[in-house]
Amino acid sequence: MRLKIAQGHLYDPAQGWDGEVGDLYVEGERLVAPLAEVDLVIDAQGQMVLAGGIDLRGQVATYGLNMLRLWGRLPSPQQIGELYAGLGYTHVHEPFLTLYTAKYVHRELSALPIVDTSASLALNLRDLDKWLRAPEQLGEVEQNIQFLVEQTRALNVRITEPYVRFRQDYYAHRNIATENLVEILASLAQRQNCPLTLEASPELLRQPLPEPAAFHLAALGPALTEVELVQAALNHLEQGGTADLGLMQPSGYESWPNLPVQINMGFFHPLDLCPRPSKGAAARALELALQYQGANLAFSGAGPFQAPVSGYARMFSWLTDPRARLQDWGTELGDRAYSLADWINMTRTLPARLLGLKDRGHLSVGARADLAIYNLPKITDKINWSKHLGRCRTLLKAGTRVIDNFNLINPEIAKATYYLQTGSEASPWLGEMCQYRSFRLENLWVHDHLGGDWVGVQ
Amino acid sequence: MIESVICTGCGCLCDDLDVTVEGDRVIEVANVCLWGVNKFIATKKFHSKKDRRRLLAPQVRRKGRAFDISYDAALEEAGKILIQARRPLVYGLTNNGSWAQEAALRLARRWQARLEPGDLAFMAPYYEALARHGLYWTPLEEIRDEADTILFWGANPIHSCPRHVVRYSVFSRGRFTERGAEERQIAAVDIYPTETAKFCKPFIQIDPGQELELLQGLAAHLIEGQEPPKRVKGTKKLVKLLSEASFGAIFVGRGVSYGPARKLWEGLARLVVWLNTRVPFSLFPLASDFNSVGLYHLLLRETGSPYAPDFGAASGLSSHPTPVDWREVDALLVTGADLFWFMSEDQVQALKERRVPIIVLSPFANRTTAKAQVVFPVALSGIETEEVAYRMDGLPVELQKLISTPLRPDHQVLADLEQILGGSTGG
Repeated sequence: MRLKIAQGHLYDPAQGWDGEVGDLYVEGERLVAPLAEVDLVIDAQGQMVLAGGIDLRGQVATYGLNMLRLWGRLPSPQQIGELYAGLGYTHVHEPFLTLYTAKYVHRELSALPIVDTSASLALNLRDLDKWLRAPEQLGEVEQNIQFLVEQTRALNVRITEPYVRFRQDYYAHRNIATENLVEILASLAQRQNCPLTLEASPELLRQPLPEPAAFHLAALGPALTEVELVQAALNHLEQGGTADLGLMQPSGYESWPNLPVQINMGFFHPLDLCPRPSKGAAARALELALQYQGANLAFSGAGPFQAPVSGYARMFSWLTDPRARLQDWGTELGDRAYSLADWINMTRTLPARLLGLKDRGHLSVGARADLAIYNLPKITDKINWSKHLGRCRTLLKAGTRVIDNFNLINPEIAKATYYLQTGSEASPWLGEMCQYRSFRLENLWVHDHLGGDWVGVQ
Repeated sequence: MIESVICTGCGCLCDDLDVTVEGDRVIEVANVCLWGVNKFIATKKFHSKKDRRRLLAPQVRRKGRAFDISYDAALEEAGKILIQARRPLVYGLTNNGSWAQEAALRLARRWQARLEPGDLAFMAPYYEALARHGLYWTPLEEIRDEADTILFWGANPIHSCPRHVVRYSVFSRGRFTERGAEERQIAAVDIYPTETAKFCKPFIQIDPGQELELLQGLAAHLIEGQEPPKRVKGTKKLVKLLSEASFGAIFVGRGVSYGPARKLWEGLARLVVWLNTRVPFSLFPLASDFNSVGLYHLLLRETGSPYAPDFGAASGLSSHPTPVDWREVDALLVTGADLFWFMSEDQVQALKERRVPIIVLSPFANRTTAKAQVVFPVALSGIETEEVAYRMDGLPVELQKLISTPLRPDHQVLADLEQILGGSTGG
């Protein structure tokens, strides 16, 4: 199928396009140079044409998350897929896949329709403590991590707890404090030649990172428990590090009976699926977003409880419209308003770069034709961004129309899970590292028929 | 020899079986328990020398006698039942793989049927208790690594999931429990002395009906800090055990569903939430059917509720935590369960008198196939066909195909039945 997207206002920070009127051409699943003939013309006059959105931290398949449905706090996979498509998203990245929950996560991801998916292998450094201490073994550590990434079909690595801490007193000698560990992690990041994702925490933000550019800090919001930490996060961004926001809603928890919903995945702290909301931290996350002027900050929500996908459009409007902030937060928090280019960078360009999806997040020739087309607000309008950016008029995924005139027309479009093909072999001590697992090693690896379609990236 | 095969004997889904295959026959299985072996070598549970009769051809029952027929003819017979039904029920599914469960859910939706898990009476009160008190979920991996206190309540793992005690809870050697049982305090509460008494100290044997009193006694001591008005023998020992724990798990067996299940689950959930304010503690239903957890997971994900969905309700989809009233059912499809094994003679008789037609999918002959109008023999999941199943802690595993069979997998039969009602070919 050859398509022409005609006379749209094109936005792509990667190419410096900021609303120039022009045409885009699609052949098959790719954007191509102008074609002499096309099969279909999509009229985009008066509309904004953007690359498809990418959720860098969309908690949609975490082990145990399904239990939130007991309380009606999580939509069905069908609804989640449709919500993302309605926002103009074509890819969702799950943050918490562990060694033994990999199959669970992939089963859940495969149940999510429309959007492509991927996941981070969340490493428990407790499993590696012995080898992390020996600098000469870092090469082998890295080799085994890369092996695990491929075998669990993850796209990258995430450190959820940047320390090693044992609950058992008699293991105290094996603890590694954050300040020591970040040095080791910086070396690891340099070896793998891409930033290492660390889940943000107050403890981590208090710690000066040796090589900020070697780290991506995920979900800043819940970590901003004190005012000073906003400055620490800004410093990290200004020194070349990247981060995602982890925005949270200030209200909407009134109906929640405040029950514990915690999943123990072997980390020092259990994963809290319904954390007690902190309005202070939520406000500081937004303040941080409004203070920061660069291109190193991506958009993300803090999780399905504090930032459900259904609330993303409203969150976008906090960034782009002071009046939306006044309405939801009772204060405008200054007059900063994100430009479309800023917003596109944080929802498309930067997430694609951080996930290593080279053909996404931009509109260059050769990119995959994931296009989100929105109505362009008139300049004289009192712009309601949540109305415009939260409602995609036309969505193309790999050159195929999924949404047309605001209606979902192709809910069964092909989708795939992306994973990193590292080609690494396991080193001999992998068996020792996994010796306490109740599964035999080969039964931990994710095979073809467990999920849906797979796409390996190099 | 095929190594690291998953056993579908129970919800443990042990993944360390080494199976020797000769042609299309399993001739030896290593590391298997007496329960699991019946799946691989078609013997009766715990009686490895007594053969289990395998079903090899579809059957239809006419005038009380069963006749072998072709697959297409069986589909046609089943189709008549499907089309005529007004209040149909799809029952069982806890011993089916996940693909079959998904196919059954699609069929139930299209048939406007109610879908009832075979162990709803046991599991629904558990989910009700969670919904009310919250959840602290720990997979078996972590229990094996860290738990120093284990309590079996109304459970006999030696019978329901024999290798549970070896792989996860009692004798297993985890990261911080390297001396196995020596590192743990193990207790059990039951109304009969079972094999667990040999390694559970204390083994609290109570009289039937004393479960709630015991639980109230524990709550009074631990939560309210008071002496209970009436103390069941063993209360103090359990209080000591639970209060000394640094990481614990309570495994609850189907025994609770023979008593006041709702109140027991409620009390246990409240107790565990309180224990969790001090140390990590989990409440864990001991699912003996190999994919019971997979079914509840699917129901939660697809219908938003773990209870029995009824797609034929006048008000649209409704979900029920209580077992079906058999008097309301006018057609039955049973798969992944031997329904008549669990029914009282009166209930069986009532279904027979009302001439409720029954379609059964089963690899083996059982009490239900003996009463069914149409029987579809199916391939054994994890031996003759690939599948996916969820271990009792909710972690999925892939089941392999080890040998060939001409029989169809159950998910295909269910998809074919759905097609009769105008559905797609599944997938």
